[in-house]
Amino acid sequence: MSGADRARLFLENAATAAAGTHSVSDTGDLLAALRRIVAIDSPVYCPGVTPIERTVQTLFTNRVSDYAAATVTVEEVFGAIAETGTLVCSSEGGRAVQAGLLPAHHVAIVRRDRIFDTLDDLFAAVCGVPPTNLTLVTGPSRTADIELTLAIGVHGPEKLDIILV
Amino acid sequence: MSHEQTSLAFRENTVRALKDSPLRAAMKHAADTFGTKRADAFAPVADLEALRDRASAIRDDVLANLPMYVDRFAASATRAGATVHRAKDASGAREIIAKVLSDRGAKRIVKGKSMVSEEVDLNSHLEAAGMEVVETDLGEYIIQMEGETPSHIIVPAIHKNRRQVGRLFADRLGVPYTEDPQELTKIARRALREKFLSADAGVSGANFAVADTGSLVLVTNEGNGRMVTTVPPLHVAILSVEKMLPSLADLPAFLRLLPRSATGQTITSYVSVVTGPRKAGDATGAKELHIVLLDNGRTEILAGESRDILKCIRCGACMNVCPVYRTIGGHAYGWTYPGPMGLILTTLLTGMKKSHPLVDASTLCGACVEVCPVRVPLADLILGLRERKVRERFSDPMERRGMEAFGKVAGSPALFALGQRLAGAFWPVVRALGGKDVAGRMPAPAKTPLRRRVP
Repeated sequence: MSGADRARLFLENAATAAAGTHSVSDTGDLLAALRRIVAIDSPVYCPGVTPIERTVQTLFTNRVSDYAAATVTVEEVFGAIAETGTLVCSSEGGRAVQAGLLPAHHVAIVRRDRIFDTLDDLFAAVCGVPPTNLTLVTGPSRTADIELTLAIGVHGPEKLDIILV
Repeated sequence: MSHEQTSLAFRENTVRALKDSPLRAAMKHAADTFGTKRADAFAPVADLEALRDRASAIRDDVLANLPMYVDRFAASATRAGATVHRAKDASGAREIIAKVLSDRGAKRIVKGKSMVSEEVDLNSHLEAAGMEVVETDLGEYIIQMEGETPSHIIVPAIHKNRRQVGRLFADRLGVPYTEDPQELTKIARRALREKFLSADAGVSGANFAVADTGSLVLVTNEGNGRMVTTVPPLHVAILSVEKMLPSLADLPAFLRLLPRSATGQTITSYVSVVTGPRKAGDATGAKELHIVLLDNGRTEILAGESRDILKCIRCGACMNVCPVYRTIGGHAYGWTYPGPMGLILTTLLTGMKKSHPLVDASTLCGACVEVCPVRVPLADLILGLRERKVRERFSDPMERRGMEAFGKVAGSPALFALGQRLAGAFWPVVRALGGKDVAGRMPAPAKTPLRRRVP
């Protein structure tokens, strides 16, 4: 699969799973996208660890250090899977995977070069010594426990936005 | 659920279920919805049969080498920092978990969905020990509030309609009545969020356990599995020993089959792979992880003729297509696991003496065999249990004597011919005596038997 095909397939499948999808080509675009997606003055958790996170964190006027108190988490995630439109979140490097779970809105930034074609490719890459927590995220939190009727936002985010950079 | 009665009241339960019109309506709705969703989800899968073969072969290998994989898992999980316990039976598992929790002063427990914890009746035991146990899967939350058990292994409250849930929430949570599933979900989210953040411990099950790495795999949609395994400081997981997979490389096949078979999704919202507790430098994971590996009769099943039921990955597809389950729902089966896989497992785990009425809860139509993603020969296993039921003399005595008499007659051409003539001659009498019941159900025998008409 070519890089462009892989990115297109990932975004298509993520959108099918009810994630908001955005594709940007430079830092200016990324910041503009975040301004559109996130209410800038809401309590935002942004770890500010990766170079991308350090660039974007200055946007948010109300940054909080406790993700449980945030309404939005903006973070760069470990990677993605094209086959299923899935985000891969890893605890590697001291990342708090649950930060993408507690707030009602999760904004995940994915680098184009971090997309795996398939589930097999991901697990081949992590099978030696997996991190303490590896979580695959496909769309927002959902349930069909009442009359098999889809409801969004049970315990995890009711809104998931993905920005591909 | 009662564990004391001598045999499950399956027939009585069925009669009651057939008269329960909200239940019948809910089951019909579920059957229609599941069928379409599952078919749609599998439609784009290029080589489904090869995928099923592969998954089936992996499960066969796991069963052929189960003690080795269990030992390997235990060693890997221990190396990753978890404490691994082995429980021989339900009471053993309950004791271990209660002790782990009470030794650490845990009072407030949040639970992720786990059928194995239902199997060992964990909640009532922990509650008796003074702990507050809150089910956090929406369906489990609903039935816990109602004081019921799950009626489906994936969708525990499938027997309830939105109005019943709306009234329950209004009564118990003091919220204004609503029957909108999205609103009801929001109400549960608010109530349970508080529980997650203040919990002393999380108790979860696991869909798979990976032998090579000691990882637990949880496949969920709501995020309660993620909460339970990452937010409280202590995580206790309970799973039955057959849930092993050799390595993480084997996982994708199951992640492709399980959600499609269970809910008609390409993949669930969340798949958590948890390997040990939080380590130095980590910001995710419980500080302490205890894993309870439950045998509860699996080793015995493995040695017997019904071992293939242990291939089951608990997707629930077999119950969704079963004409019996679709008509009566899950509670009529009377124990933890309903439907085709459930009646087999129940009979094996609780014994023929208690469960023999369940062995008849199948039409042997084979719909379950057609959908099983890991090719469990469900119909053959049910047939095998029926043979055992007869062999162990749990079948109805009248039926048994009738069958024995028929066997003798059918074994002798002369007796058989005589029987045919007698049946033809006496049919009007049988009809008159037996009434509408017999006449309505049995076709009249031919006046001249086929054997005499065909040269």
